[in-house]
Amino acid sequence: MNILIRQARVVDPYQQLDAIMDVHIADGNIQAIGAELNIPDAQVIEAKGQILCPNFTDLLSYLRQPGNSQKGTIASETRAAASAGFGTLLPSPDTQPASDSTAVLELVQDRAEQAGYCQVLPIAALTQGLQSTHLSNMLGLNKAGAVAFSNAGYDITDNTVLLRCYEYAATYKLKIFVQARDAALSHGHMHDGILATQLGLNGIPVIAETLAISRHLQMMQHTGVSCHFQQLSSAAGVEMLRQAKAQGLAISADVDLAHLCNTEQQVQGYNSQYHVQPPLRHESDRQALIAGLADGTIDAIVSAHQPHEAAAKQAPFADTATGMAIYDIFMPLLLSLAADTNLSLLQLTAALSKQPRSLLGLDENGLTVGAAANLCLIDPNLSWQLTSTSQQSRGANQCLQNSTLMGRVMLTLQHGKVTWQAHD
Amino acid sequence: MNLPPSAQLQLTETGELRHFLSIDGLPKTLLERILDTANSFVVVGNQEVKKVPLLRGKTVVNLFFENSTRTRSTFELAAQRLSADVLNLDINTSATSKGESLLDTLRNLRAMHSDMFVVRHSQSGAAHFIAQQVTPNVAIINAGDGRHAHPTQAMLDMLTIYRHKASFDQLKVAIVGDILHSRVARDQVHALTTLGCQDVRLIGPNTLLPTAAEELGVTTYNDLDKGLEDVDVIIMLRLQTERMDSAFLPSASEYYQAYGLTRQRLCKAKSDAIVMHPGPINRGIEIESEVADGEQSLILNQVGYGIAIRMAVMSMAMSGQMQQRQIMEANQ
Repeated sequence: MNILIRQARVVDPYQQLDAIMDVHIADGNIQAIGAELNIPDAQVIEAKGQILCPNFTDLLSYLRQPGNSQKGTIASETRAAASAGFGTLLPSPDTQPASDSTAVLELVQDRAEQAGYCQVLPIAALTQGLQSTHLSNMLGLNKAGAVAFSNAGYDITDNTVLLRCYEYAATYKLKIFVQARDAALSHGHMHDGILATQLGLNGIPVIAETLAISRHLQMMQHTGVSCHFQQLSSAAGVEMLRQAKAQGLAISADVDLAHLCNTEQQVQGYNSQYHVQPPLRHESDRQALIAGLADGTIDAIVSAHQPHEAAAKQAPFADTATGMAIYDIFMPLLLSLAADTNLSLLQLTAALSKQPRSLLGLDENGLTVGAAANLCLIDPNLSWQLTSTSQQSRGANQCLQNSTLMGRVMLTLQHGKVTWQAHD
Repeated sequence: MNLPPSAQLQLTETGELRHFLSIDGLPKTLLERILDTANSFVVVGNQEVKKVPLLRGKTVVNLFFENSTRTRSTFELAAQRLSADVLNLDINTSATSKGESLLDTLRNLRAMHSDMFVVRHSQSGAAHFIAQQVTPNVAIINAGDGRHAHPTQAMLDMLTIYRHKASFDQLKVAIVGDILHSRVARDQVHALTTLGCQDVRLIGPNTLLPTAAEELGVTTYNDLDKGLEDVDVIIMLRLQTERMDSAFLPSASEYYQAYGLTRQRLCKAKSDAIVMHPGPINRGIEIESEVADGEQSLILNQVGYGIAIRMAVMSMAMSGQMQQRQIMEANQ
């Protein structure tokens, strides 16, 4: 490994750097960075017009194994993640069986290591079997590699259980990831608005999110546990977290890319590829999510990548599975967000690298001499077609299948090792 | 053609009806043609020989995933009067609980080379799904999908109004009851507003009014007496008794007190107002018997118009679908 990437636009949120540079990588680390480097033996990559940034960390991804390998495998989905520029993934504990035992955590980490595409830091189940009745063996799971605990999409409706989960986690300073949704109010299939009325689909009101946020915030204040809120979907939800942060609560939050780029209108015509939880909401909600990201209320962007087999999406809308396979279109969507909003590439890459890593307590130095070469190189002007042969994820639920997309990850490096390289 | 996405699927490239899935987005001229065609079919029912040969040699499959005697029989009669061969399939949900998906069921049916499916299903969007993904060459008539649409029922209500009232733009129309769960009400609203009706009122308690209903171009009322003031047409909706179990309403008697149509309340409307109901009616829950059987009630007329509307829509969709097939074959 001895590479010289020349004339790349280096976007490094760790140093607030956005400049044309040469970067020399060898032995897994960044050896030199400068305006014009001359390294005689290095393999040269001409990267004029391309973007070089830290590779990404995904705080929410569904790798489907164990239990659902017809939808995706750890190997297939970590490869897809690498092709989208990711180097580190936090897979959801929502597997079968759930990630509530050291055996499952070891399986997930071993498979990921064998595959060699991404570092996998598992989120473990907060309750046994995600059943919301018994606490999982949090200390043991933490020792086995769990970096956080979550009940995934399952609301713990019993306040006694929730309180004890948080008290126990707070005892050992374990981090909680929460998808704030009131179970009873989330039985619908899309945002509760005029389109749901027109399509005759059960709506999920914004209060399903805000009610849950306020409950978790109070539990958090009472127990002192540290919470990270996942997949915010509404303007009102963002505002609640903005105020909570202003009060100095130790919270953080993320939003998935699909919610930054889409609204409920995508469901028009019963398009089941946009059947997601939480639902895509109104344009004003989308704008509030963008504003929340811009002002730091929202710390991170996640993929919430959820691959499915084709049949899972082929039914009347309400009968279809929720979730979107997004890794294959992640970079084109991210670049369109940079083009269509005030969010800069520095802000977007910060929300995908520096910020998610810092809330996990993972220190990094970005593109500095001596730092590990955890990088991705992006060609923002490359136009390509997403087809069943070009896609990397096993998921058949691709919402932009057969579309022409703009922008592609050319190269992903994890500790200097090539984990993805685009072929012409 | 510049049409809303909801309408694109239903029309051929030249704007002819090809599937009939929902009134949403269909142009006024098309609705008027359906009414005129149906109006001409009303007389067919009064003739000695009740058949016309418009669908001779065509196979119509009634695909009912949800029970319905009335709607299915009127579709069957309509198809027979158009001289089609009719196959009735009651596919109760137990077939799908055995593991067969809707997609597999339809793939099997496709092998029968039918020309038209009349579909009723408990899920909103089921008819769209079938038209879009499964059998684009078979004309699909939506006979009710979840709480989304029931366009033939809405059009038969329009035919009732059309035959008994002056032009739509002068009318005040009240729709009363469980709007939230009503696939008929949604299509009635689309049909009325498209046909030019300026004053459509949805009347019910907040638990039974859908979110953002005003954006459909209607006015909502909680007070029945206020909502009925000066109206020309009253459409009562059926109240499903299970709404009491799922906390939408406290009791049938309290509902009747607030939203039951009595003779006294009928007086708030214009003296020549007509009363409609898609049936089957719950006497003493939605409507007082004297009103249901009274001279302002057109509830029984609606049934006969239902056959005429279904004949009109089936013949129009079949010819549109044939035309589309020819266009596609020519393009190949």
